[in-house]
Amino acid sequence: MRSSIPSVTPATPHHTELDVAADLLTLLRDTATEPRPDIQLEALTLAVAADLPVLLWGEPGIGKTAALNQLAAALDLPLTTVIASVHEPSDFAGLPVVGDDPAVQGVPMAPPDWAVRLVRAGRGLLFLDELSTAPPAVQAALLRVVLERRIGALRLPAGVRIVAAANPRSSAADGWELSAPLANRFVHLQWTYQHETVVRGLGGTWPRAALPRLAPQRLPEAVAYARRAVCGLLTGRPALVHQMPNNEARRGGPWPSPRSWQMALCLTAFATAAGSSREVLSMLVRGTVGDGPGLELLASLDRMDLPDPETLLAAPATAELPERGDLRQVVLDAVVAAVRERPDRARWDAAWTLLVRALETGAPDLVVVPATTLAALRQPDWDVPAAIERLTGVVSLSRRADRVAAAAGSGR
Amino acid sequence: MTATVRGALDLQKLFTARLHAARVRPYLATALFALRPVESRRVPTMAVDRHWRCYVSPAFVDRTPVEELAGVWVHEVSHLLRDHHGRGDRIASQQGLTGRGERLRMNIAADCEINDDVYGDGLARPEGVVDPALLRLPEGKLMEEYLTMFRLGPHTQGLVWLDCGSGADGLEREWDLGADGAYGLSDQERDAVRFRVAQGITGQPGDAPKGWRRWAEEAFHPPQPWRDLLGAAVRSAASSAGAGEDYTYGRPSRRSTSLPGIVLPSLRRRPPRVSVVVDTSGSVSDTELGSALLEVAAIARALGGRRDLVTVLSCDAAAHLVRPVCRAENIPLVGGGGTDLRTGFARALRATPRPDVIVALTDGQTPWPDRQPPCRTVVGLFPRHGAARSWDEEDPDYVPDTPPNWARVVTIGPQPY
Repeated sequence: MRSSIPSVTPATPHHTELDVAADLLTLLRDTATEPRPDIQLEALTLAVAADLPVLLWGEPGIGKTAALNQLAAALDLPLTTVIASVHEPSDFAGLPVVGDDPAVQGVPMAPPDWAVRLVRAGRGLLFLDELSTAPPAVQAALLRVVLERRIGALRLPAGVRIVAAANPRSSAADGWELSAPLANRFVHLQWTYQHETVVRGLGGTWPRAALPRLAPQRLPEAVAYARRAVCGLLTGRPALVHQMPNNEARRGGPWPSPRSWQMALCLTAFATAAGSSREVLSMLVRGTVGDGPGLELLASLDRMDLPDPETLLAAPATAELPERGDLRQVVLDAVVAAVRERPDRARWDAAWTLLVRALETGAPDLVVVPATTLAALRQPDWDVPAAIERLTGVVSLSRRADRVAAAAGSGR
Repeated sequence: MTATVRGALDLQKLFTARLHAARVRPYLATALFALRPVESRRVPTMAVDRHWRCYVSPAFVDRTPVEELAGVWVHEVSHLLRDHHGRGDRIASQQGLTGRGERLRMNIAADCEINDDVYGDGLARPEGVVDPALLRLPEGKLMEEYLTMFRLGPHTQGLVWLDCGSGADGLEREWDLGADGAYGLSDQERDAVRFRVAQGITGQPGDAPKGWRRWAEEAFHPPQPWRDLLGAAVRSAASSAGAGEDYTYGRPSRRSTSLPGIVLPSLRRRPPRVSVVVDTSGSVSDTELGSALLEVAAIARALGGRRDLVTVLSCDAAAHLVRPVCRAENIPLVGGGGTDLRTGFARALRATPRPDVIVALTDGQTPWPDRQPPCRTVVGLFPRHGAARSWDEEDPDYVPDTPPNWARVVTIGPQPY
C-alpha cells in the first residue's frame, strides 16, 4: 500500500506503449489507507503479537494475501511467502546432503534459501500459503517448522512470526484435510470479506491495521485475569481439557487440548492488556479451542465481570446492577444464594434493599423469582423489612402471572 | 396497577406476560430476559431486530390478552435464537432474492418453522399466527425448506400485515435503532445468550420439545454438506500413509539430476483400491443409495482410481456378488430383508489385492465387525427419518448400535442451511 503521490508526469513524451501502460498501472496502484476498526485484522495482529502461529481459513481470492501484506507493513516485518503445496517434505525438513565422509561427519540437512535469508535477517513474517492442499508428508514436515521453528539444521529466530492460510474443504476440491496434531497448533481465524471494506478499498482506500497497544502497567493484572479465567473454568469442567475431534464436520479445525488451552490463556492475557473488545477475543478463543469450549470460556469471563454478591450485600443502597436483563437476573440469583449460604438478619435485609433497587432501575419481572426465594428464607424472629412495601407491584405482577398460568392450564 | 395513561405502553402487562413465558418455558428464560422492550408506534404488533431489541406497539399490548402476549414473546425470541435474520441474509445473497415480497416470504417461512411446536403446554396461541397447516404444508421443516414450498398468492393475502421485524428476515425496518443505538447486544453477547440457552436445553433435554432439542444440538455445530464430508473422508482415507499418493525414497526424485549429491524423495502414486459395501436391506431407499453410490464412484475416479479399482458389493444378510464399477448406473443392487454388514466386510477383505479403503453405505441398523479391518473404513450413514423413525416414539430407549469408533462416519442427509 503506497500512500504517496506517484511521480507521474504526463507531459514527458513516452518512448513506447509499455511506458504508457506503466503509467496507468502506477495510477491504479496509488491507494491510500485509513484507520478503520477491523475485527479480523485486529485478531490476526494480536495473535501474531502473541507469537502464536495463525491459520487463516478463507475462500480463494478473498484477500488473505492482501491482509498479510498489510500486516507485514504495519509490523514493519519483511514478508516471506512459501506456497506449501508446491514444496516437497525435504524443503521443510532439510535436504540431506551427502558429504565426503558421512560415517564421520554425518549427513547435514541443508535448509532452503528462504529459510537462510529469514535467519540472516533475524526477523520477518513467514507466510505458509495453501497449507490444506499440501500432501500429508509435507504437512508432517511443516509440523516441525510451526511448532519447533526448525527448518533442517536452522532454527528460526524469535523475531520471525508464522502465519498460514488454507482453503476450506468445500472449495479445495482436491485438498487433503489438516491432520489433528497440526490443527491443534494453530489459532484458526475464519477470513471473510466485508462488503464495505472491499468497495472502499477498490475505490482507493484500504483500512490500515492499527497495532494493538499493550498497556505496560496492566501486564501483571492481565496475566492474573487470564489464569483465573482459564483455571476457574477447567477446574469445574475437567472434560473440557482434552477432546479430540470425533465428528467429521469438526476435523481439521480447532479443538481443546492442554496446548491449545495454553494458547487461549496467552491470547486472553494479550487481549486484556491491549484492551481489545470481546468480539476480538471471542474470535481468537473460539479459533483456538473450538466453538463450544471457547464459548464456555467467554461465558465464565462474563461471570467474572459480574459484581460479586458479597460486595453488593455490603453496600446495597448504592449497588450498580448490570443493565442487561439476563445478567441482572444471574446477579440477583447469586445474591439470594449468598444469603442462603450464610443467613443472618443483616444480610437478609440488605438483600431486600438490593431487590428494591433492582426494581427501581429495571424490569420488575426479573425480581419475582429472587423475591420469592428470599421470602422463603425468613426466620420466625425476623420482622418483615419496610422495604418490602415497595415490592407490592412485583407481588401483584407475580399473582397476575399465576392467574394466567391457571387460566391457561384449565383452558387446555 | 392497571391505571395507565391512555396510549402509553402498559409495561406491567408486558412484563407479566414475559414472566409467564419464562415460567412455562424455563429453558428460554435467559433469552427472554436478554430482550429489551422498546416502545414504538410504527410497528404493527411486536417486532425484533438483530440486536435483540423488541419493538412493541402500545395499542397491540392493550388489545391482546396477557396469555397471548406471552406466546408472542416466545415467538419473537425464537426468531432471534434461531438466527432467522442471518439465515435470511444468506439465502438472499445465495439465491439473489431481493425485495420486500421475498423478505415477507422468509418471515412467513420462519414463522412456520417456529409455530408448529411452540404453543400449547401453558402457552396460548396468539390470534392470527401463521403455521404450516394454514398454508397446507407439512410440519417440522426448516425455514429454508418451507421457502421452496409456497409462493405469495391469494391464500397468503391475509398475511401481508405480518411483520416480525428485521430479526426475522434480515431486512432493516424504518423503526430499527441500528447497530449503534441503545440497548443493543453485540455479536459476542448474542452468541453468549444463544449458547447459554442451547446448553440449558442439552443439559436437560427432557423439558424441551424436539424442535428445540434439534436446534440446541445444531446451534453451534450446524451440519455440513455430506457430499463434501464424504469426499474428504474417502480422499483422506485413500491418500493416508500406506495408500495412494505419498512421498517415498524408493525411487529417485525427478529433481535428483539437477542436484547431485542430494538425496531427495519422490512422489509415488498408486491408485487406491476402494471397496464399497452397500446395505441393500429393505430399510434403505434406492434413491438414497443411488446418489451416495454415484458420489463415491465420482470421488474414487477423481482420486485417479481406475474404474476397475472400485468395486461394489451389495449386502443384506449375506454378501452378494462383487463387481467393478463400470458405469454407476448398472450396478445391480440385489437383496432386501435383514442386514449383517459383517459378511460384507469379510467378503470385501477376502479380495486380492486387498482394498485400501472400505466405504460402507448403510442405515446403521446392523451388527458391526468386532475388530478393526486392516484398512481405512468410511461409513456413510443414512439417518432414519419420517415413518421409519417411529421406533423413536414407541421405544425412546432403543438405540441401534452406533458405528465403531475406528470408522469415520459421515451422516448422509438433506442439505443443511
